[in-house]
Order: sequence, then structure tokens, then C-alpha cells
Amino acid sequence: MSPLFFKLFLFFTFLFLTGHNIVALAQVPEPASANVETDKKDLNKEAAESFTASIDSQFGIIVENMANVLFWEPVKAVPIPLIVIILLCGSVFFTIYHKWLNIRGFKHAIDITRGRYDNPNDPGEISHFQALTSALSATVGLGNIAGVAVAIQTGGPGAVVWMVLIGLFGMTAKFNECTLAMVYRKVRPDGTVDGGPMHYLEIGLQERGFPFAIAKCFGLVFAIFCIGGSFGGGNMFQANQATSAVRGMIGDRPGLDWFFGCLLAFLVGLVIIGGIKRIGQVTEKIIPLMCGIYVLAGIIILILHANQIPEAAVLIVRSCVSPEAAYGGFIGVLVQGIRRAVFSNEAGVGSAAIAHAAAKTDEPVREGMVAMLGPFIDTVVICTMTALVVIVSGAYNTPEAGQGVEMTRWAFSETLSWFPTVLNISVFLFAYSTMISWSYYGEKAWQYIFGTTKKAIIMYRILFLGFIVLGAVASLENVITFSDLMILSMAFPNIIGGVILAPRVKVLLQDYWRRYKANEFTVYE
Amino acid sequence: MALHASTVVVPIDFSSASASAINTALEIVENPSQLYLIHVMLPLETMSPGVLLGDVTDVSRTEKVTTALKNLAEIHKAEDAHLAVTIGTPGLEIADYAKREKADLIIIPSHGYHGLKRLFLGSVAERVLRHAPCRVLVLRRADQE
Repeated sequence: MSPLFFKLFLFFTFLFLTGHNIVALAQVPEPASANVETDKKDLNKEAAESFTASIDSQFGIIVENMANVLFWEPVKAVPIPLIVIILLCGSVFFTIYHKWLNIRGFKHAIDITRGRYDNPNDPGEISHFQALTSALSATVGLGNIAGVAVAIQTGGPGAVVWMVLIGLFGMTAKFNECTLAMVYRKVRPDGTVDGGPMHYLEIGLQERGFPFAIAKCFGLVFAIFCIGGSFGGGNMFQANQATSAVRGMIGDRPGLDWFFGCLLAFLVGLVIIGGIKRIGQVTEKIIPLMCGIYVLAGIIILILHANQIPEAAVLIVRSCVSPEAAYGGFIGVLVQGIRRAVFSNEAGVGSAAIAHAAAKTDEPVREGMVAMLGPFIDTVVICTMTALVVIVSGAYNTPEAGQGVEMTRWAFSETLSWFPTVLNISVFLFAYSTMISWSYYGEKAWQYIFGTTKKAIIMYRILFLGFIVLGAVASLENVITFSDLMILSMAFPNIIGGVILAPRVKVLLQDYWRRYKANEFTVYE
Repeated sequence: MALHASTVVVPIDFSSASASAINTALEIVENPSQLYLIHVMLPLETMSPGVLLGDVTDVSRTEKVTTALKNLAEIHKAEDAHLAVTIGTPGLEIADYAKREKADLIIIPSHGYHGLKRLFLGSVAERVLRHAPCRVLVLRRADQE
């Protein structure tokens, strides 16, 4: 058996064992389609719906079984999944260990991003600012628009406080992982770079005395979940919510989800298989503009509702400390807040480190500090703004507002009637750019396992397009759970490895900070 | 028995092992112009940050690698060596290049890993062996990680 097929065999066996429980499959509940009323005249529509529902129900069973394993709650009395504990403790640890770098390094991070220290001759592919834009194009998107609505829906307004707090602590987690990605990146002779958690886990852990097999295992587990994440949050969730936005715009039509899923897959395929980079380049350039329009619209709404903001703030804080039982009490709100924040800003998850590794610099710490701004912009600024709009407009307790992206649309359109059109375009573009960015992360992880041969790469790209269609037809609940599972699970190897390697980062940071304070850096501005 | 060859292909990955492969090749050929150095670049991902936001193109990469190959040849006093930069799967590209240049020997370093390491590290030499149109001399690498 060739190594490629042997590895493919191992990969799918792993996924099968993690997610699929044969016993549970034997007890398949009747798919939702069984309840379709028989007196419906349109038989074609019924057949299409039942097919979609059966795919969704099968997918739901796989997801549920995966959740049992990956969202395991170690202490029965306190229902917090292990992974949420790791994310929370990891972020707090990095913040204290690096002595509140998220606060003391904030101004310097902005100076670096502005290009003050950009030396065009440094090794790498892109400037600090471009690296931040690239990482943000993968994180800013539906996690901010739809994810916040989901957080408030499932965790109540109080979840927002936890989102912001984990966003602030997540800044240093992001710093730690992106610095490591820079330290252990490979710069190829052609000037391109290859870096990310799989590389720093493998090489870094060996440097700290771990045997090759264990270090490689960390890298492999990360890579497997990263591939899963690229199919989940980086793909299905985006396709699902983009389809939902189209449905909201033109109304539900039979076969719409299939048609739109295939259209999205075709458009992504033009870039990732067709190699038409112009489309991707234009999208990446429009994204900051769309972000700007979105934030501006949010600010306008908040100014118009300025008198309601204190009330909303009180509601958020009050429901954070004394949450309603409907949202699962204090723990339920905490868990939802953390899940949605991490899903949105990916701090501790390690994905952005793959993009930041491409930055042009010979100072690893410098790129880490730029990366730190990601969770701030994503969660502390954009998510908070969305949350306030959803709350002041009353969308969060209006049942007809819908769920996910529909709730956010409803909230914005209460004040700005023209906004839904802009939002729909934004949702589409955000989804599109996130899918392209994540296809890159996923492919890097795939290459780490399966090698860089043409056959292996094309296999990944075709699978990626297949998941877009699946995301468009599956239900939001299943898609969110699957996406959360994969993206949050990337934090297992990444945070544990990151903590083990943190002393290396600390030494570099201390040296860098000393030189910064002594004004030893050349300013290129 | 001395090894004779008049057209020798040496794949270059810019590691210290490629340098010793050049030395071995220079011992075999009569003249450095009989030396054919090739570096294979991986295909560029259209969705990579360097392509979408930066200025990474196949032209810019080829320029960088060609300069690096020239420098390497100069260091070994083999300025007359033929240089090639191609894009694709390394093992196959090297074999194709040997076919095109009607090479009679390929000299390639190999890690010689087995077990878990073989599964994940380097199979370029193996692929070259399988596809080569001529003799292949495999050098055991000294720079094992």
C-alpha cells in the first residue's frame, strides 16, 4: 500500500472511531422527513426535502457521537466541557505568564501594524498589516454576525460579557501561538514560507526533549482537527449561513439550498482548483471595506438608540452574574460565551498562526504582537457592537427575528431598512473569503499528513468543495455543533503544546522588550 | 570500479546534503558543464496569503531560486553547470528532467528513514528511483534531523 493510501486509511479510521458509533447507527431515529404530511401535492418537493432531511439526520448522528467524546465533561457536578476549561485556563495562563502583554504591548502592536518597523528585505511573503488582514479575513465574518446572535439566543445577553473577557485574554494566547509559528517556520529557497502549529509542535516539543513519536502525534492531532475545522467552521457554517441569507432575501424555494450550495462550491472551486487568483485577490481587498460598512451601520444604530445603551449594558451585566435558568444558569452562559468567542476569534486554536507565519520579519515576537490585535478587533470591537445592536433592537427576545444571521439582519433592519441588502452582500463576501482562507489552513494541515503530491492536494480540494454543498443543505444546529467540535478541538494539542513551549516565547519576549525599551529598533517610516 | 558519466543530474534542495552531492558529481564528471542542477518548487496555492495579498508569483520565485542555484554553483566552482527550476512533484520532475537532458546518471541524497519517519519524511529519492530513465546513485545523508 502506498504511503498516501495508508495515511488516508488511518485518517478515516480515526474519524470513524471518534465520531461514529455503530450501536447508535443501529438505533437511527426516523428522519424528520417521516413527519412530512402525506397530503402534500408536490411530490417532487417532498422527495427533495426528505433526501435533504435524511442527509442532515445522518450527519446529526455522527456529530452527536463526536460531541460525546470531544465535549466530555470531567466533573459531573460542573457541566463544563474539558476543552472549554483548557481554553479558559490556557488564555488566562498565557496572559499572566507574559505579564499582561495584551495591555502593555497594545500601543506597540498598533505601531508595528502601521508599518513603522517594516523592512522590505526581511524574509517572508507579506507585511505585518497584510498578515493581520489575512488572518482577519478568516475570523471576521459570520462568527461575528451570526455567532453573536447564536450566543445571545443560547446563553442570553450575559454571554456577551464572557465573549469579551475571553477575547481580551485570548489576545495573549494568539500572541504565544503566532510567535511560535514564526520561530519554527520554514522559509523555502523560493521565498515562500511554511509554518503553523503542526510544525512548532513537532520541532519545538522535540527540542524540549520529547521523543519524535510524541511530538509528531501532537502535530498530527492538530492537523486532523484543523482539516476538520476547515470543513466545519471554515466551510459548512459559512455555506449554511450564506444560504440562509439568500433564503431570507428571495424566500424559500424548493431545491434552493442544493442549487446555492453547488453555486458556492463552483465559485470557491474557481479559485482553489481553477487557480483564478484574481477573484480571491478582489475579495480580500473588498473585505476591509465591508467590515467598515458593517461597523459604521452598527455605530449609526447605536447612536440612534443611545438612550437605550445604558439599559442594555445593565441587562448584559446583570444576566451575566445572575443568569436565567433557561440558558443553563451561570455555567451554561459561561460555556456559550466562551464557545462563541473562540469560534469567532480562534484564539488558542492555532489557525491564524498559519497565516501570520507568512509575515516579512526576522523578529518572531513582533509578528506575535500584531496577531494580538486580531481577537481585539474581532471580538472586543465587532462582536460587542453586534451584541448591542441585537439587544437594543429587541431582536433577542422577538421570536419572529429568527435565529443566527436572520436575527442579526432583523436587528439591523429595525432601524436601517436598507441594511438587509448590504448585510446579505457582506454575508456572502465574508463567507466566501473565510472559505478561501480556511481552505488554505486545511490544505497546509492536509499536506502535513498526506504530503505535497498533486494527487493528495487535489483530493483535499474536491473534499472541501463537497463539504460546501453539505453545509448548505444541513441544519444550523448540526453544522454549528460539528464546526465547534472541530475548531475547539484544535486547541487541545495547540494549548497544551503552547504551554510547554511558552518559556521559549518568554525568553524571546524579554529580549525583544528590552531592545524596544532601549530604542534599538530601526524605524522605517 | 570507477563510475563514469557525461551527463549528471543533481537535484538541489539547498541542504548540506545537496552540497555533498555536487562534490560527488564533480568527482565523476570530466567538466562542470556536464553537471545539471535542478530545483523543484511546489505549485503555488492560489489561496495563500502571499498570492492574495503579497506579491508572490511563479516568476518572482523562479528568480530567487535561480539566483540561489547560481551562487551554489559558484561556491563549488561549477559556474558552467546547467541550471533548471521547475514546478511540480519533486520526484517526477527530477525524472522528467533527466529524460529531457538524456542524463546517464542522477545523484540524489536520501535520509534512509524507515518506520514512522519513513511514512512522514522524504520519499523523493524513492520516487526518483522508480521513475528514473537512467542509473541513480543514492547518497546516504549526513544531515539527518
